[in-house]
Amino acid sequence: MKFFRRQRFESEMDAEMRFHIDAFVEDLVRSGVERGEAERRARVEFGAIEAKKDECRQAWGLQWMDELRADLVFTLRTLRGAPGFAAVAILSLALGIGANTALFGVLDALLLRMLPVRDPGQLVFVQTAGTRGMNGGPPYPCFEILRDKAKSFAGMAAFSASSMEIRLNGVREQVRGLWASGNFYELLGVRPVIGRTLAASDDQTVGKGGPDGPVAVISRSYWEQRFGGDPAVIGRAVPMGEQTVTIVGVMPNEAMSVDPGRRFDMAAPMMLSDPVVLRQRGAWWLDIVARLRPGVRQEQAAAEANGLFQGFMGDSADSAEMRKLHFDHIELTAAGKGTDGLRTRFTTPLTALMVLAGLALVAACANVASLLLARASARQKEFAVRLAIGAARGRLVRQALTESLVLAGAGAGLGIGIAVAAQNALAGFFATGGDGIKIDLPLNVRLLFFTVAISAFTGLAFGLAPALRAANVNPAAGFQGGSRSVAGSRRGLRLGRVLVVLQVALSMMLLCGAGLFVRSLRQLAAVDRGFTREATLTMEVSPEGRMYGTPEWLRQQTEILERVRRMPGVKSAGWATMGPLSGRDRGVLIDIAGSAPRSITDRSIHLVSVSPEYFDAMGMKVLVGRGFSQRDNATSAKVAILNETAARFYFGSANPVGAKLRITIPRGSEYEIAGVIKDVKHSSLREEPGRFLYVPIPQSVDRINRVALAVRTAGDAGRLAAPIAREIRGMPGALLITNVATMEELAQRSMSRERLVAALSTVFGLLALVLAATGLYGILAYGVARRTNEIGIRMALGASTRGVTWMVLREALLLAGAGIAVGIPAVVAIGSFSRAMLYGVSAFDGAAFACAAVVLTVSAALAAVTPARRASRLDPMTALRTN
Amino acid sequence: MNSQVELVQGTLDMLILKAVSLGGLHGYGVLVRLEQLTGGKLQIQQGSLYPALYRLERQGLITSEWGESENKRKAKFYSLSAAGRRKLKMETESWKRFSAVVADVLGAVPEES
Repeated sequence: MKFFRRQRFESEMDAEMRFHIDAFVEDLVRSGVERGEAERRARVEFGAIEAKKDECRQAWGLQWMDELRADLVFTLRTLRGAPGFAAVAILSLALGIGANTALFGVLDALLLRMLPVRDPGQLVFVQTAGTRGMNGGPPYPCFEILRDKAKSFAGMAAFSASSMEIRLNGVREQVRGLWASGNFYELLGVRPVIGRTLAASDDQTVGKGGPDGPVAVISRSYWEQRFGGDPAVIGRAVPMGEQTVTIVGVMPNEAMSVDPGRRFDMAAPMMLSDPVVLRQRGAWWLDIVARLRPGVRQEQAAAEANGLFQGFMGDSADSAEMRKLHFDHIELTAAGKGTDGLRTRFTTPLTALMVLAGLALVAACANVASLLLARASARQKEFAVRLAIGAARGRLVRQALTESLVLAGAGAGLGIGIAVAAQNALAGFFATGGDGIKIDLPLNVRLLFFTVAISAFTGLAFGLAPALRAANVNPAAGFQGGSRSVAGSRRGLRLGRVLVVLQVALSMMLLCGAGLFVRSLRQLAAVDRGFTREATLTMEVSPEGRMYGTPEWLRQQTEILERVRRMPGVKSAGWATMGPLSGRDRGVLIDIAGSAPRSITDRSIHLVSVSPEYFDAMGMKVLVGRGFSQRDNATSAKVAILNETAARFYFGSANPVGAKLRITIPRGSEYEIAGVIKDVKHSSLREEPGRFLYVPIPQSVDRINRVALAVRTAGDAGRLAAPIAREIRGMPGALLITNVATMEELAQRSMSRERLVAALSTVFGLLALVLAATGLYGILAYGVARRTNEIGIRMALGASTRGVTWMVLREALLLAGAGIAVGIPAVVAIGSFSRAMLYGVSAFDGAAFACAAVVLTVSAALAAVTPARRASRLDPMTALRTN
Repeated sequence: MNSQVELVQGTLDMLILKAVSLGGLHGYGVLVRLEQLTGGKLQIQQGSLYPALYRLERQGLITSEWGESENKRKAKFYSLSAAGRRKLKMETESWKRFSAVVADVLGAVPEES
């Protein structure tokens, strides 16, 4: 557009001037001048046509464009003349910019981005809160009251994530499901990909839905994976639990729920979920999202909702103590970015990584600045010539800045490529190494804006000082002889040294950070998990609904164990209602017979129901008393086992074996303590162990449905996954197998944040190290070249080769030492900032610091090798002849 | 002997505005009219006309339009804008005042005492 306008300007100007000359020629010819002579005179009297055109362009305000073009052309020509410099500079910048762009993309996707729904700013979560913090939405009957009576909201919808079981072509399958009130998608204002979305009318009658009967929508990715993207999926009937739902629509993946990063396959109306739970006034399983009516303040809405909530809680069965802890009142929180699960987990590590990436970019800038500086010194003569023949200093600065910005621009272009690759790797990490977190990383406008902004910033950051320096050349001095006498070059060297010290300091920070995080990860990996490190496989097995809690299901569990144990490679196998690091949890309240009454918090304990062989299969050690045996069955005396933490908490140093405890909630049942078992890391490897109570499966207070199989194997546990699953599927009753994983995989997943931080901080540390080493090499090589003469004199006067080598080496070590010294206070700051992310290492870990310092010193020495050798091999005669 | 006058700095713009004010002209026409008006006494390098025309158009004092010349060729015609008219009036008045003052000063005769 702009370009065409420019072309038109040029052609019109040309036409106008040609017309002028032709008209003049015609007039002259008419007055009797011979044509050839007339043409000559016309040209002379018009004056230099190109110069006039230039003046016209200037008058028209186009000159800056031409100058810019000239600057660009000149820059490209000079960069082509120094390909090594250009490559190193662009690559440094590309790595810095790429790393920052990639990380910012992830940060944006996980922490900053608003939900892809209509007016996300108006959305709030309605949550109950107590002294223990937020606790999700109120029970369904309360939701109905709020939805129908609260006037502060334009709409209110409930949702709850839950795995759902469906049958496709007769095969049982577990899907990631969402129960959603019928108005959920309407409230969010999201549109289906095909078909229709859920409607309020689909959510009217318990167990039936609405006029179209039970319906459901599926996500786009599930549609593509499971139905090959066939539009005929609309109207298809799919058995789900006890009912059959009709698929009425396909939804965009990211609009399935308001849970960023979490994937859902299917969503169905609330009325199709468990009718008992729906009616319960004490079932806390919902999340509630609402849209504020325009003009209503959040506090106002919260007050109204709270009034209704307190009315509902008037006849609550929960104790006053429980209510105070969890369900005291209603609070509204902004829902525009969705639920905060991911934000809570990743805010600290991603912020820390962003800081580290920023430091790496600063290191890249310092590196390019020192390269530019060295070049500026080498180009002093060129600048002096240009000044002497009348170039304005401002133009020289602009030329130099153009060069910086071209470098930054090229770095940004390449950096975006690097960022895309890095983002794919990061997305892959989150999808597999993490917990199946799905992050969408499109190259959006915000991201590109970020890239452009940091590139422009870097361009100015590294370009300004060398540019100003270049323009400061004294033309007279610039002409005199060789590099040694060039004015300002001593100052140039000093600034160069400062930059190198800065780079070393940044490397020190980044390497120390990497050291701390890597050591944290190793500590965490080596932590006592409480279960065996030998190869162990787990998978969850669930029977059909009608088998839940039946003796038949218990018998089948025993049969499965017998079959699995007979398989080659299996050492032992057992069942538990939930395994370590599975992400599952179950809490009950207990009383210890003969002890003083305790608070609810102190009475709560995690409950795991296990088969007798489970402790052996998981390698969990019985410390006191005995484990379970086949004789602990449905009819024998009930026995329980505590973990260390629970035993210490309830009995102190006394032996708890033989003492009686009573589970009071969910229902009363008395047990005799048979033993104490070693603590196991259950929810994560980092956690301090909680209180755990183990009971035999046949004696559990829980109805046994899904159970986790633990199999200890000889050799690779993963290899046995398929044969064992086949064996179990071959049994009668259409058993559903889910969450197959080795314990090692679960442990790795539990360390996903730590692995991410350790890996990326190492990358940044190495990047900074390489940059610092090249910077150091550059300044040393430049120093040697500049001092060729001096070194020649020293050698002529008898300085030894070793002395000269040492001279160069000493400078390298001094610079590195200064950088390390400068870096240490910054490292201390980083350490205290990242303390929350460390595990088992102090923020001031001497080993990490010493390691970083040694690595830097060795790198400095290596960077000095070539310049030192070059210096020591100088021939004094040649050296003295160079100026 | 030379009857030609050097252009005083900054007066070319004023002369162009005047020439254009007498009716739309193309660039060569401006030159011809200036020569007529000055009786060929003013020395203007022909090419210098154009930067001045472009500058005046950029300032919004004249407007341009492509049309057909006397001998049926495409040419760019300039005419005075409203802003140009005001500017010309102002400049004319200030020039008159200025030249009167200068003439007074230069025409003063030494006072005899």
